[in-house]
Amino acid sequence: MRKMLVSYMTLGYPNVEGYLEFIDGAISQGSDVLEVGMKPKFAKYDGPVIRKSYKAVNLSEGDTWELLKETRKRSNVPTIVLTYLEDWLGKLDEFLSRLREVGVDGVLFPDLIIDFTDEYDKYVKVIRDHGLKAVIFTSPSVPDAMIHDLSKNSDLFLYYGVRPTTGVPIPVSVDSLITRVRTLVENKLVVGFGLSDVEDMKKALRAGADGIAIGTAYIEEVEKRGVKSAISLVKYFRGVLDEF
Amino acid sequence: MVDREEILPKYWYNVIPDLPKPLPPPRDPPEAEFSRIDLLRKIMPKEVLRQQFTVERFIKIPEDVRNAYLNIGRPTPLLRAKRLEEMLGTPAKIYFKFEGATPTGSHKINTALPQAYFAKEEGINHVVTETGAGQWGTAVALSARMFDMNATVFMVRVSYEQKPQRRTIMQLYGADVYASPTNLTEFGRKILAENKDHPGSLGIAMSEAIEFALKNEIKYLVGSVLDVAILHQSVIGLEAIRQLDELGEEPDVLIGCVGGGSNFGGFTFPFYGAKKGKKFIAVGSYEIPKFSKGDYVYDFPDTAGLLPQVKMITLGKDYVPPPIYAGGLRYHGAAPSLSLLIKEKVVEWREYSEPEIFEAAKLFMRAQGIIPAPESAHAIKAVIDEALEAKKTNEKRVIVFNLSGHGLLDLPNYESMMKRSLK
Repeated sequence: MRKMLVSYMTLGYPNVEGYLEFIDGAISQGSDVLEVGMKPKFAKYDGPVIRKSYKAVNLSEGDTWELLKETRKRSNVPTIVLTYLEDWLGKLDEFLSRLREVGVDGVLFPDLIIDFTDEYDKYVKVIRDHGLKAVIFTSPSVPDAMIHDLSKNSDLFLYYGVRPTTGVPIPVSVDSLITRVRTLVENKLVVGFGLSDVEDMKKALRAGADGIAIGTAYIEEVEKRGVKSAISLVKYFRGVLDEF
Repeated sequence: MVDREEILPKYWYNVIPDLPKPLPPPRDPPEAEFSRIDLLRKIMPKEVLRQQFTVERFIKIPEDVRNAYLNIGRPTPLLRAKRLEEMLGTPAKIYFKFEGATPTGSHKINTALPQAYFAKEEGINHVVTETGAGQWGTAVALSARMFDMNATVFMVRVSYEQKPQRRTIMQLYGADVYASPTNLTEFGRKILAENKDHPGSLGIAMSEAIEFALKNEIKYLVGSVLDVAILHQSVIGLEAIRQLDELGEEPDVLIGCVGGGSNFGGFTFPFYGAKKGKKFIAVGSYEIPKFSKGDYVYDFPDTAGLLPQVKMITLGKDYVPPPIYAGGLRYHGAAPSLSLLIKEKVVEWREYSEPEIFEAAKLFMRAQGIIPAPESAHAIKAVIDEALEAKKTNEKRVIVFNLSGHGLLDLPNYESMMKRSLK
C-alpha cells in the first residue's frame, strides 16, 4: 500500500504567490494530505524555523480565510488546518463553521491531547459535528493505553510526533519509538517532527509507519533556495516513500 | 539466596508509557529569542538526551554501567527497621532501601555514573554541574573520576561555606569546586552585581554550570527533575521489588522525600508500573512549601532560563530558600512526572517542618543507629506517622521507604537544629 506523504506549509509563507506555487507543486509531486499552518498566538510545540515562518506572515483575517479557500480550490487531496486549540476557546463553533465554509477537510490541534486531556472527546465530537475530520496528535509522552484509544478515534490517520518540537534534530531512536506504539495503533500511523533526515525516514517506515509528515525541511528550503527547490524536495521524499 | 548480580536490574524503567495522562513535553517559551530545546544538544551528552526523549518502558543498562553499579556496592540493602517498629509499638512492618550505602552516601550516584559514562563514550573529557548540599556534586566528582574525566562543580554559596567537608570530598575526587554565584560566568556576575552577598540557590548554580558548559564546550550532567535522571534512578525501585519478593512481602505504603523528585521517582515508579503498593507518599519541606504553595505550571528548571520550560509544581524559578533552614530539599520545583501523579492524586504529599524532621531523625538514629540525611528524615517522619496510624487501626501494613542518603556529612545541619531546638 502506498505510504502517505503529509506535507505541511505555513499559510501564506513566504508570501501569497510563493505559497500557492508551493501548494500546487506539493500536490502535483505526490503529497497525499496537505497540512496548512494557521498563525497561532503561541506556537507551543514548534521549533525556531516554523516559529520564524509564522512571524514572516502578515495576513489580515479576511486574507487568511480567502487564502484557505483558494488552497482548497486548488487541492484534490484532503486538506487540514493545523493550529492551536488554545487560541480558539470561546469561539470554537464559529471557527469550525468557517473552516467548513471554505471547504477545509479537517483540523489538527497539536495541544488537544496534552493541554485538554479531560475534554478531548468533547472537542473531537464538536469538530465532527461541524462536518470536519478530527486528526489527533500524539507523541511519546502520551501513555500507551491512551495512544491505543486515540488511534481508534482519529480521522484519516493518527499523527505521532517523535520529537518534543518541530524541526529541532534532537537525537531519538525513531525505530524504537515506533516499535513501542505500532501494535497499539489501530489506524494509519503518520510520523512527524524532525524527519527530514532520509535515514530517519527509512527507519520509521521499516518500523511500520504508514506515512511521514514533513514541514520544517520545506520551509528551510524555501528560505535557502526558493519555492521551486522546495517543490523538488517533495518529489524527492515521494521517491523515498515509494521505495516501500 | 539470590546473588547481587541477579538482583541488580538489567533494564531501567520509564514510567511515562504507564502514566494515567499524557506528560506535557518540555517546550520553548513564547517569543523565545533562542531555542532551549536546541540548546540541549550542545550541553547534554548525546546518549543522555536520546534517553530523555526516546520514551520506552524499559531501556537496557549498558554492561559497563552495570559493572560500575556493582563496583559501588549495588544492589543497596533492603533492611527491616525492627527496633523502630518496637519503639513505636506498631503492628506495621517497616522496611527501608538504604541508598546511603553507596560510596558517596546518597542515591545521586545512580544517574551520575551512566551520564558520565555516556559523556566519556562520546569522547568528552570534562563535565560540569551544580550542587546544593553537595550530594549530587560528590556523585558527579566520583563518577567523572571513575571514567577518567575532569569535573567542575558550582556549589550553592551558603552550602559551600557550611559544608566544607563535602567540598573536601569533591576535591579529593579531583573536582574543581566554586561557590555560586561566582564571577566565572555572566549570569553569576549579574547576580553578584545586584547583591554581592547573595547566598546562592540551586537554580542559580544550575544556570552557571550550563553557561560554563556552553562556553567551554564541555557537557553538563543533570541531577534531577528531567525524566532521564529518574529513569536511571529506577534501579532503586526495581531492586526493592525483587528484594521484597525474596522476603515474600507485598508492600502497602511507599514513602520517599522530594527535592527535585529523582529518588522518589526512582524508588516508587517501578512499584507503580508493576501495580504494587496501595499508597504513595511524597514528602517535602514545610519551609520550602512547593506542594502546598506551588503552582502546576510551565516553568524553567534553572533561574537564568537556559533549559526548556517543563510543566511542574513550582515555587518559581527565582525562589530563594530561607537561609537558616538546614533540612535540605531546597529545590523550587518537582519533576514533571511526579507533579502529574500528584495532580492526578496517585501520589499523596506531606510537608514537615524542621523541628518535626529533627525529632524523627533522632528517633531513627536511636532505633536503627544510622544517621539519616536531613532530606531523608522527611521520609522518616512520614513513616513514623503512618506506623502510628496503623497502630491506631491495628493494621499490619507493610511500609517501605527510601532512605536516600546518610547524614554523616550533615552533622553541622543537625548541630544547628539542636541549637535552634534548645531556644
